[in-house]
Amino acid sequence: MIAQLTAWLMHPLGHMIAALAAIMAFVGVNGLVLVYMERKVAGFIQRRPGPYEVGPQGLLQPVADAGKLISKQLATPEGADRLMFWAAPILSMAPVVICFLPIPFSPLLTGMDVNLGLLLILAFSGLNSLALCLAGWGSNNKYSLLGAARAVAQAVAYEIPLLLSVLAVAFQTGSLNLSVIAQEQTRGLLSWNVFTHPLAFFIFFVASVAETNRSPFDLPEAESELTAGFHTEYSGMGFGLFFLAEYSYMVIVCAVATALFLGGWDGPVLPGIWWFLAKVFGLIFVMMWFRWTFPRVRFDQLLNICWKWLIPLGLLNLVVTALMIKLVR
Amino acid sequence: MEEMVASAAYGLYLALIVAGGLAAVRCHNLVRALIGLIMTLFGVAGMYFLMAAPFLALMQILIYVGAVSVLIFFAIMLTRAPGGEAGHESLRPRMGLRELLSVASGLLPAVILAGIVAGYAPPALPLKSEVPLARLGQFLTGPYVLAFELISVVLVVAMAGAVLLGFERRKGQ
Repeated sequence: MIAQLTAWLMHPLGHMIAALAAIMAFVGVNGLVLVYMERKVAGFIQRRPGPYEVGPQGLLQPVADAGKLISKQLATPEGADRLMFWAAPILSMAPVVICFLPIPFSPLLTGMDVNLGLLLILAFSGLNSLALCLAGWGSNNKYSLLGAARAVAQAVAYEIPLLLSVLAVAFQTGSLNLSVIAQEQTRGLLSWNVFTHPLAFFIFFVASVAETNRSPFDLPEAESELTAGFHTEYSGMGFGLFFLAEYSYMVIVCAVATALFLGGWDGPVLPGIWWFLAKVFGLIFVMMWFRWTFPRVRFDQLLNICWKWLIPLGLLNLVVTALMIKLVR
Repeated sequence: MEEMVASAAYGLYLALIVAGGLAAVRCHNLVRALIGLIMTLFGVAGMYFLMAAPFLALMQILIYVGAVSVLIFFAIMLTRAPGGEAGHESLRPRMGLRELLSVASGLLPAVILAGIVAGYAPPALPLKSEVPLARLGQFLTGPYVLAFELISVVLVVAMAGAVLLGFERRKGQ
């Protein structure tokens, strides 16, 4: 029985199906964990206990929230483009599964060992901004449309520094395979790319906070100005899918950052998977910490940070990296 | 088995391209037309995958679906007609002749190209394995360096033109 099962798992098709099932389970559980974490972190930073009533230490609060979201009625606003309105949350969620495939959780635990894994993630995560556009357009609501317009400008601008910082690491390793890049960094702490490419790590992290529309770059959904931005009109699981997608993209960008810069599964004593998860959730904690530390940027500031600082710095970093590689080899 | 899956995938991508193209031309709503265009671009990316060129396929998705179509979306949002409903293009009732001419002008190159391909096509090559990225780069900076540089010059000119247009309008205000 077990031999049969392992044989089936070794087959590429079986491996892929198992990986997809595991990813979907992870995405769901991750949503629950991050909702709890977000509210607790926010609570402690603001010197209050956070969710406390449902279950011990409020542990069952996200389950109650999820039950509420699932049981809510799905309403379509009047005058909305029904097809686009409901296609948007699905389009936001669907690429998540593909983006998780090439992430190396440990040397063995990789959904699919793709040579162009990094590119796969970058390509499919770009679909999210399209989904936000559709949501904003289909809602027939001025706040949604404003949110969508902001999302577009932000996503297109911040994709460039993101790519530039990733390219610097790819130059050094000579590969776009995340497993290979992570494997290269297992030769001790100092071989982690964060020490050889500190600037690239900084640019990548700032750009990925912006790409996931997290505060201080949460202009597409800025509650105080736009009600809820692009998802103003969504109820129940329509909103739930956007929410789940946002949390999944947080995990994806933090996992990519871990594999690219923080040595992937590298670490002493414990098996690699625990180190990988610890680094990923550590980065997510920093993202949540940002949210309650920095005020939301203004729109012109947002674009100035990108075009006047991050992109020139990214280009400089890329040129210097290329030069160093040429000199060393 | 593998051949069957490949044929099925080919059919799927072909259907996606044709349906997307039709939607892009036929939809009255500009945003829906754009969704049609995106479907077509996806289908083309799938075709690249089938031809064992995953790098091109992913670049197609990254650049055309992720960036260019999003920019088109932005343009549609910014150019809503004053007073008119946003994203709608008026379609004049005089349809017959226009439809006929557009079908003819679309089919003509397709028929000519298909005729040439059917007449003089070399036999299908066995599917090559994936070309490594490094070789692709060597090709671009080796034998095709002139074309590569010319394309970058075109892009620089386009970018300079865009900046120039932006500045002129700002002066006018």
